Amino acid sequence: MFLNSWSLTLCLCSLVVFFLLAFASRTAVRVLRFWNPASDSNRQIRLENEIWLSSTMVAYGLGFQIVSLLLFVLAANHYCQMIVGAMCATGALTANSFGVPALMVKVAGVFLYGFWIVMHQLDIRSERYPLVRVKYIFLLLLLPLLFVDISLQTLYISGLKPDIITSCCAVVFSSSSGTGSQSFLANVSQQTLLVLFYSGIAALFTCGILLLRYKHALLAGLYSLLWMVFFGVAIVTIIAALSSYIYAMPYHNCPFCIFKTQYYYIGFAIFGTLIPAVFLGISLSLVQLFLGKSDLVFYIRKFQTYAVCFSLLFLTVFAFLSSYHYIVYKIMGGEV
Amino acid sequence: MLKTVFEKHLNILDYSLSSLWRRRLKNASVLLVFAGVIFLLASFQMVTQALTQLAKDSLENTPEITIQRMSAGRQEAIPLAYMDELSTIFGIQKVVPRIWGYYFDEANLANYTVMGLDVSAMPFGKKLNLALREGRFPEREGTGESVIGQSVYTAKDLKNRRVISFFRPDLSLKSFKVVGIFSSIVDLLTSDLIVMNIEDARDLFAIAPGFVTDLCVYVANPMEVDTIAKKIADRLSDTRVLTRSQIMKTYQVVFGWRSGFASVCLLTALAAFIILAWDKASGLSPEERREISILKILGWETTDVLAVRFWESFLVAALAFVIGCTFAYIHVAFFDATLFRPVLLGWSVIYPSFQLIPNISVDDLLLIFCFTVIPYLAATVIPAWRCAIVPADSAIR
Repeated sequence: MFLNSWSLTLCLCSLVVFFLLAFASRTAVRVLRFWNPASDSNRQIRLENEIWLSSTMVAYGLGFQIVSLLLFVLAANHYCQMIVGAMCATGALTANSFGVPALMVKVAGVFLYGFWIVMHQLDIRSERYPLVRVKYIFLLLLLPLLFVDISLQTLYISGLKPDIITSCCAVVFSSSSGTGSQSFLANVSQQTLLVLFYSGIAALFTCGILLLRYKHALLAGLYSLLWMVFFGVAIVTIIAALSSYIYAMPYHNCPFCIFKTQYYYIGFAIFGTLIPAVFLGISLSLVQLFLGKSDLVFYIRKFQTYAVCFSLLFLTVFAFLSSYHYIVYKIMGGEV
Repeated sequence: MLKTVFEKHLNILDYSLSSLWRRRLKNASVLLVFAGVIFLLASFQMVTQALTQLAKDSLENTPEITIQRMSAGRQEAIPLAYMDELSTIFGIQKVVPRIWGYYFDEANLANYTVMGLDVSAMPFGKKLNLALREGRFPEREGTGESVIGQSVYTAKDLKNRRVISFFRPDLSLKSFKVVGIFSSIVDLLTSDLIVMNIEDARDLFAIAPGFVTDLCVYVANPMEVDTIAKKIADRLSDTRVLTRSQIMKTYQVVFGWRSGFASVCLLTALAAFIILAWDKASGLSPEERREISILKILGWETTDVLAVRFWESFLVAALAFVIGCTFAYIHVAFFDATLFRPVLLGWSVIYPSFQLIPNISVDDLLLIFCFTVIPYLAATVIPAWRCAIVPADSAIR
């Protein structure tokens, strides 16, 4: 189903991102081959100019990729209105086997491109660009991921077959119209999940505050690990437990309908705080890998402090937004 | 640190605005063309959205399942005996036979929709009187009575007369007493409608006794609609079974396809604009070179110049976006999308006049934004960089 504004826009965005990153990786290859900070040759000066271009392009690519992730979820919300048997975006994404992988690769992409930007920002703090090689090797490794992303998305869109009423008498009916979340997550105890979820938040707060006081590498590692686990727990909890309080429907457990107008787009706020928080939480221990570069130590420490503060801030907002409906339900004893 | 970053960007934004103003002619031309492209695209998106909403609203009160008989790939009259086959399917609330057709009035060159059914048999039959401006619906026994819509009332120039006549296929005349007129609130659905008893409709269209055009099936539980439709399709093999959700999905696919097709056509316009934008941004005049190198001498870095260029492109794009979308809204809401209506509606059928209400949501705005602004921003990266790497000494050289 390519002839649809949503599909076209998704393809266009992917093409633009591909163009940007491909151009940036041209610089990457040149940097890896010819970079020589000691030289003042024409080529080196040209290269030093070019890294500005490539970093701007990756920054744009990251921005566009975040937008395209949003667009993908919204597109799934629209596709479900055209596919027989799909009640909401879950049904549209599971309509063929490429939908969910495409979404996952897109989310992973946002994290990886984001980390590139962090590396770049650290790198340009020093006059000697100590991370330039690492940065560009990483960029070249991102290209295959982008390729997988675009391929999965294209396969997903081309595999979507809307069922139109045909003029013959053969009518296709889905055997069950309930492609709900039951197939997504079966039989997870809500109580256990909620306990895990809230103890996860408590653990993150404790660890984060400790980390602000004692800047220890192991503690930072633990903090990042906690975030990784919490990311999974949070998503499962939102799907299986908290979403039904947002919808005020016990059997409606869907991670995508919260992006709709009738729920005041709360999904954007929930995931818009969760994802940056997880990103900051994980990247603060990844940047420790560069502590060996002596002229970056100060900036890495500074970044880590900011990352802890902001991840905790986002966590607070996230905790409030995601449990608002649940708590209101518990306090008022029902839907208000 | 955050405060200084914020202040820096505020200052850069300030500088970008003044820089845009200094080159206002060049920027205005880009802005105008860009706003035009966005206007075209946004109009299409809004018309599609409005039509989908319209279809959704009009389908709200239709029966859950409609059964039509097909013969040689065409719709035929369906025997009432088929209703007996349905009586054993659990979950069916009611089956209402219906005669539905068009009557072409040669005197006015207008098409009326004729619907013959037993109003009291419909689940909401009793509430239907609310939709009338005056009068009542035809009685079950009373033949020769009808209810007409506003357009029919005007087209037939009835004024105080309450009798209306139509020709049967053999050109003999059949007269109806107008017992009710639909209120103008429901004009969208009833404007060209004439409702009568099923026997009268059969007589008017000369349909054989015991036959109707379709059967409307009302289902109590919406979750069971698909299962019941499947059972009906199994039992009555020569029929076409249409469910309401399927009709809706078909509408959406068709509108989606048409707007997608339009977007493909507009891609050429977008591409042309991108080339124009690239070209405009690439041409670096000697004054601009001097300006950049002076900034560099003053201590600006490459990133700062890049940031200025980003803000300039973004401001132009955002302004064009707002202008384009506003004009598209006006075009759809107040001019009924005169430019594109034929493309999306098709021209083979005469449609009653209706008002399009653009039902724009954040999703659609994001879609339009991604389709237009993202390629534009991407196209201005390389020119912006070329401008930003002007060496500091080029002013004094």
